[in-house]
Amino acid sequence: MFHLISPNSKIDFVGKRHIWIGLSIATILATFVLFFTKGLNYGIDFTGGAEVKVKIPASWDTGKLRSTLEKGNLTGLKILSIGDAKDSEFMIRAQEEGKDLNQVVKKIGDTLGMDLKAGEYEIKSADIVGPSAGGLLRKNGFLAMFYALLAILLYVAIRFDFRYAPGAILALFHDAIIVIGIFILTGKEFDLTVLAAVLALIGYSNNDTIIVYDRVRETLKMNPSLSIEEIVNQSVNQTLGRTIMTSLATFVSVAMLWAFGGHVLEPFSFALMCGIAVGTYSSIFIASSMVIVLTHYRENQAKRGSGKKAREVKLSPEAHIGI
Amino acid sequence: MSKKWWFKFSFLILVTLVSALMVLPTFTGKSPEKLPFSKKINLGLDLQGGLYLVMGVDFNKVFKEIADRQLVSLSERLKDKSIQVLESKVRLEGVPQDDPRIQIKLGTAQKKEAVDFISKDFPNLRLTEDKGDLLEYGLGNDYRNDIRDKTVNQSIEVIRNRIDEFGVSEPQISSQGSDRVVVELPGIKDVDRAKDLIGRTAKLEFKMVDEEGLKTVALPELIAQIEKEKNIAFKEGAEFKFSDYVKQINEAAAGKIPAGSEIAFEKSEIARIPLLLKSRAEVTGNDLQDAQVSFNHESQRPEVAFELNPKGAVTFEKLTGENVGKRLAIVLDGIVHSAPNINSKIGARGVITTGRGGYDEALRESKDLAIVLRAGALPAQLELMEQRVVGPSLGADSVSKGAFASLLGILAVFLLTAIYYRVSGMIAVASLLLNVVLVLAILVWLEATLTLPGIAGIALTVGIAVDSNVVIYERIREELGLGKSIGAAVEAGFDKAFKTILDANVANGIAAIILMMYGSGPVKGFAVTMIIGIITTLFTAVFVCRVLFDFYLKRMQDKNAKTLSI
Repeated sequence: MFHLISPNSKIDFVGKRHIWIGLSIATILATFVLFFTKGLNYGIDFTGGAEVKVKIPASWDTGKLRSTLEKGNLTGLKILSIGDAKDSEFMIRAQEEGKDLNQVVKKIGDTLGMDLKAGEYEIKSADIVGPSAGGLLRKNGFLAMFYALLAILLYVAIRFDFRYAPGAILALFHDAIIVIGIFILTGKEFDLTVLAAVLALIGYSNNDTIIVYDRVRETLKMNPSLSIEEIVNQSVNQTLGRTIMTSLATFVSVAMLWAFGGHVLEPFSFALMCGIAVGTYSSIFIASSMVIVLTHYRENQAKRGSGKKAREVKLSPEAHIGI
Repeated sequence: MSKKWWFKFSFLILVTLVSALMVLPTFTGKSPEKLPFSKKINLGLDLQGGLYLVMGVDFNKVFKEIADRQLVSLSERLKDKSIQVLESKVRLEGVPQDDPRIQIKLGTAQKKEAVDFISKDFPNLRLTEDKGDLLEYGLGNDYRNDIRDKTVNQSIEVIRNRIDEFGVSEPQISSQGSDRVVVELPGIKDVDRAKDLIGRTAKLEFKMVDEEGLKTVALPELIAQIEKEKNIAFKEGAEFKFSDYVKQINEAAAGKIPAGSEIAFEKSEIARIPLLLKSRAEVTGNDLQDAQVSFNHESQRPEVAFELNPKGAVTFEKLTGENVGKRLAIVLDGIVHSAPNINSKIGARGVITTGRGGYDEALRESKDLAIVLRAGALPAQLELMEQRVVGPSLGADSVSKGAFASLLGILAVFLLTAIYYRVSGMIAVASLLLNVVLVLAILVWLEATLTLPGIAGIALTVGIAVDSNVVIYERIREELGLGKSIGAAVEAGFDKAFKTILDANVANGIAAIILMMYGSGPVKGFAVTMIIGIITTLFTAVFVCRVLFDFYLKRMQDKNAKTLSI
């Protein structure tokens, strides 16, 4: 047998849990600060606007393209080189008030047509998102995120126990927020497909967390006398081989998409890559630590309210339903 | 091997064969008619190129028109009942745009009678205000929902008819939410023309020119005065705003022009010529029987010849017979196309001249006009909300790159698994391979659309599917570590891992389902493959992998091997 992680590994993950939790809180706070100062670089899916991808002669650079397009009287012009430099493909973005947006794509084509002959340039794709559609897409996107989290919260609560659910959800929020933070930091565009990737991550990272929780539940049943710290740490160690192996496999498959999938898939797979890394970290360090923190919190609560003590002090395996 | 195993194994072979056959046409690119399955995977617009449009339906005008009509019939019916209506109008100010109110003022003595009558005979109206002698009604909420549904469905129908005539293979037109229409046209080249054809309301009306009114009103001066006073300017080039401009002019001109008349414009390249028309449309596009491109005898230029249906023809004949010497305006989408003199009684036929530009342009315009007239008018104005065009070369590029990258990703996972788990890893690879084939086969079977994110979804599915194998194998390793026999360890491994796998996949599935419900376009494609992938993963990891594993165990027993290669 070939092991990535020794089957008898006894790494102390939860002992330093305050460090992990502190680190994560700091990262999340940093993301919030960045969100309100630097801000996300939203794609036209969310802001509305027009975006055209063109292929132009290799002799042209961004400057030449810009000076040509400026003749076309376009508002909020933004030009970016995309993909390999040798393909000389560019993304042109423009904003326009209300219904004039309709004309922007035509205008860009016409302006290029003044300096270039047909066949010398090619419009690869053209997207127009009206302001109302942008608002709608944004609303639906965040609604989807909210409902997904809510549904998972309910599922974990029903399938496990209410004291597991907050940890799982916090871990998911943690992952989503940090991935968004990476997008703010790198200035990468945040569009619909990236949002889809974040949603997929919520499912994926939850997968990881559930497997650890599943083991916590099982260990608890077999060794009810152990302390919650020991139980969680043992469970994390036992599932560590699986967590690393799966993350590695998924990461590798997504990394291939990122490296070879072309510029259309790039942002999507980048988000997944970040998410898998963050999700693995949060399942090992954060979600498990949260179970301990919440258990202690309940114990303290129970000590204060004397009457309920007997029932609340320990996580009793009988409390779990639906096993 | 036991009988039960053979039964399971035969089922596995059957599933493999069927799904392989279903996927075959997609990969060979041919659709052999001899095979039971000849369908290929539907490629999304992002992969084959084409036009994706989201149009918002503007219900406000529809509601106003219906409120207007309701008011007319309400007034008539109340009159029949000899209930005297002192004043009546449709109120638009101070209420939501999509909820116009019908206001009637009556003598207080007859109010109760009126309320009872209306609630009985006009069930589609809801009483919103009852104050003194004033009654106010809005359209009933169910009725308004009906109107919305009907308007959207009718719009879809009309667009479909237009597209069918335009000739696009496999167009998809569907509703999204309660107020949007999505049009997907794969492989279309002339995007602007298609957009124009879809978005055009194509409301054709024949209205008499108010010749008497024109004698008393100095129209150009009046318009110049209104433009100056109200600061309404008209910008050339933004054609779609023209209707707003006309509306504003008419609002300001109310009282200065005869009641029952309206100002409309005939547009040409150099100027817009104002005309005073009778508001009532005598004949409309609904009375059309047919419209075709024809050629003018004198100029040889293309024009659109139309033919009215019998009912329309009678009205038209009567109208033109009574108004010889006057002008009849042909109004299309609120713009006067022409206002020829009626020289004699006209029957069922007429022509609309088009395009003052070049010959080709005029011919194209005539063709499109004939199509939209034949297909009928849209019941409401459509507003472009979202448009995505993917050129064919980008689509092809995406297919090859996406497929290549996914293949690499899948191979990398296979390699990793096989190296790490040896023989058991090979079993996992076999079940993963079947997993991919199954996902593709189900896509073919459901006639679902494969988008670029969908391809990524398949690659991700493989990554997540391998997790199920990992969970099982790690469990078996653990059980072996506890000193259990091989058979017992495998049994316990599969057994204990199942709950975990189910939990993880259900939670994953929930996220995917929600993504499918709220996602649009490509995102939906991703969610669909994810959901299919989760189902197939449960099947392959739990069932397929087990069947193959049992076979491996049996062979070990026969060979008297002592260690499991895992």
